Amino acid sequence: MDRIDHMGALFMRHPATVMKSSAALARYVTCCLLGGALFLMAVTPVRADEIVCITCHSALPEKYGEPVKLWKGSVHAENGIACNACHGGDPRDAANAMKKDRGFLGAPKYNNVPEFCGRCHVGVLKDYLSSAHGRALASGGPNCVICHGNHQIVKASLELINEKSCSRCHSYERAKLIRGAMQETEAMVVAIDARIMAFKQVGTDTERMEKELFATRNRFHSLFHNVDVKKVIEESTRIKGELKKIETALAALDQQSHTHKLVGALAVAGALLAALLAHLLRKTFD
Amino acid sequence: MILLKRLIDWIDVRVGVREVVEKELTGYLLPRNINTWFSMGSVLLVIFGIQVLSGILLLIYYVPDADKAFKSVTSIMNDVPFGWLIRMCHAVGSNTMVVVLLLHMLSVLFMGSYKRPRELNWLTGFILFTMVQGISLTGYLLPWSQLSFWATTVATNSANAIPVVGPALVEFLRGSKLVGPATLGRFFALHVALIPAGMIALIGAHLFFLKRTGVSTPPFGLQNTTNQWQGDSYHHEDHPGGIPFFPNYAMEDLRSIFIYLACFLAVVFFDPYLFFPKDAFIPANSLVTPAHIKPEWYFLANYQVLKIFPNELIGLTLQGAAMTFLALLPFVDRGKECHPLKRPLFLLCAIGGLLLWIGLTIWGHYS
Repeated sequence: MDRIDHMGALFMRHPATVMKSSAALARYVTCCLLGGALFLMAVTPVRADEIVCITCHSALPEKYGEPVKLWKGSVHAENGIACNACHGGDPRDAANAMKKDRGFLGAPKYNNVPEFCGRCHVGVLKDYLSSAHGRALASGGPNCVICHGNHQIVKASLELINEKSCSRCHSYERAKLIRGAMQETEAMVVAIDARIMAFKQVGTDTERMEKELFATRNRFHSLFHNVDVKKVIEESTRIKGELKKIETALAALDQQSHTHKLVGALAVAGALLAALLAHLLRKTFD
Repeated sequence: MILLKRLIDWIDVRVGVREVVEKELTGYLLPRNINTWFSMGSVLLVIFGIQVLSGILLLIYYVPDADKAFKSVTSIMNDVPFGWLIRMCHAVGSNTMVVVLLLHMLSVLFMGSYKRPRELNWLTGFILFTMVQGISLTGYLLPWSQLSFWATTVATNSANAIPVVGPALVEFLRGSKLVGPATLGRFFALHVALIPAGMIALIGAHLFFLKRTGVSTPPFGLQNTTNQWQGDSYHHEDHPGGIPFFPNYAMEDLRSIFIYLACFLAVVFFDPYLFFPKDAFIPANSLVTPAHIKPEWYFLANYQVLKIFPNELIGLTLQGAAMTFLALLPFVDRGKECHPLKRPLFLLCAIGGLLLWIGLTIWGHYS
């Protein structure tokens, strides 16, 4: 939750503020499922995708069912952002789920896609609109789904900048330069994130580092829509400096863990020595 | 040294301390064929001491409030000097206490030490075993993590299967319909006051019965391995010609204690997360159910039994019957023979029961 709140400050609007009523409904559905599960004396996992949109569309053929399959592999599904978060509607009332008076928005037109996604991704929308891609939107330039996918929306990463994708519209040369300039920083971000998660999973308080990384990563990812190679290189270098500070903090944690193990080895050796001494003393009394 | 001797003399002329030492330590004789398994009780006392001490230290910083519990535990782990060590000792100790307690009970079972006149020793020990399970279960909730919250939800939910009173019992245990702040308050009181007080009283009773009946003779290396107790009058089992408790067996106790400490410290310093699934470090969220919530390893067999039977009442009844049978074993098994190899039916049941428990535990882990 902290992460999303923090993200809100920098980049996004919390989905709960966008779909307040839907979130309340989702909470209600969750509570009902939980109560039912308790009544049945078994704990059933309550999943974000257990909403009527998924139930009905999963059973539908081709273009009506396909979005569900695609969504399941998306970053949205990973973070519990379900259909109604983007398309609106009533996810608990199958008969009226897609009625306008229930807030159903349907699918946006091509040129409206950035605005549609930008309801949550506020900062990204700003970056995109000021980029070459955004400025070309009215004349047929790429909207969000061209690069990020439709329903199977993938997490923003450098992998999205590739020859196959970029050369659909223009040459890959400049994009290649930008990707090269960002590659090392991106690798650092990924590695630091993994290390922070590893520490978090063993009870280390990583909140401050997580927030720092999140802010830095968001700033770094805002460069993804930038096509000014010089600016990308300069900003990437600055960001690398900030990431190194987090790396230093992680190295201190590694050192602390190493010291703990050293002290532990001495303590274990001391206990074993004392056991040996007690054993030898016991023998002398036989 | 002279000062110390004077001090001891001063005490001795007043309370006869040398006589106590002679009677209870140097002159207290144990069977000559006594073995290391008899030191498990001393190891358990040390573990209990470590648990009490680390528990008191944790109490200084722990906040038993649903909004603050998780943060206070995180703070203990990260901000309090040696807080991580204290918490890890307490958490790892709660697991190793069950291991050693099981070893202690198994040795008593296989050496027939539970047989008359030691029914009360066994009974108090068995109640202590259930109390250790209870204190572990209540302690599990206190960090207020996802693991704590959902494991407690599953555990308390089992009581629902009891006919008529089940739902009321669940609500009584939780203090509300669902696990929440009221549950934390109840479990905290049970964990830090009621159960420890009960355990101290029962440890006292267990040691009192041990003192009054005397240490049993292990059935190994003897011609006659039958129980000699006649049952006509009170009789303390003496061991003339045996080895003194101090210094002889005290050294064996110390050896076992230090070997235990070496293993315990190895886990604490090198792999304390052996007993912590990743959900143990995520704050409790009543709206997000983790996919695979499992109880602690020593409850996995119970958990699996409940899963096997379509009706939880059958599972609970079977477990209750098995526990009652074990608790009353000295009253059921009245044979005089103590050597395990001369008790084929016992051996078959004990090994079969043990394998069944291990099998169910493994099944519960992977199910």
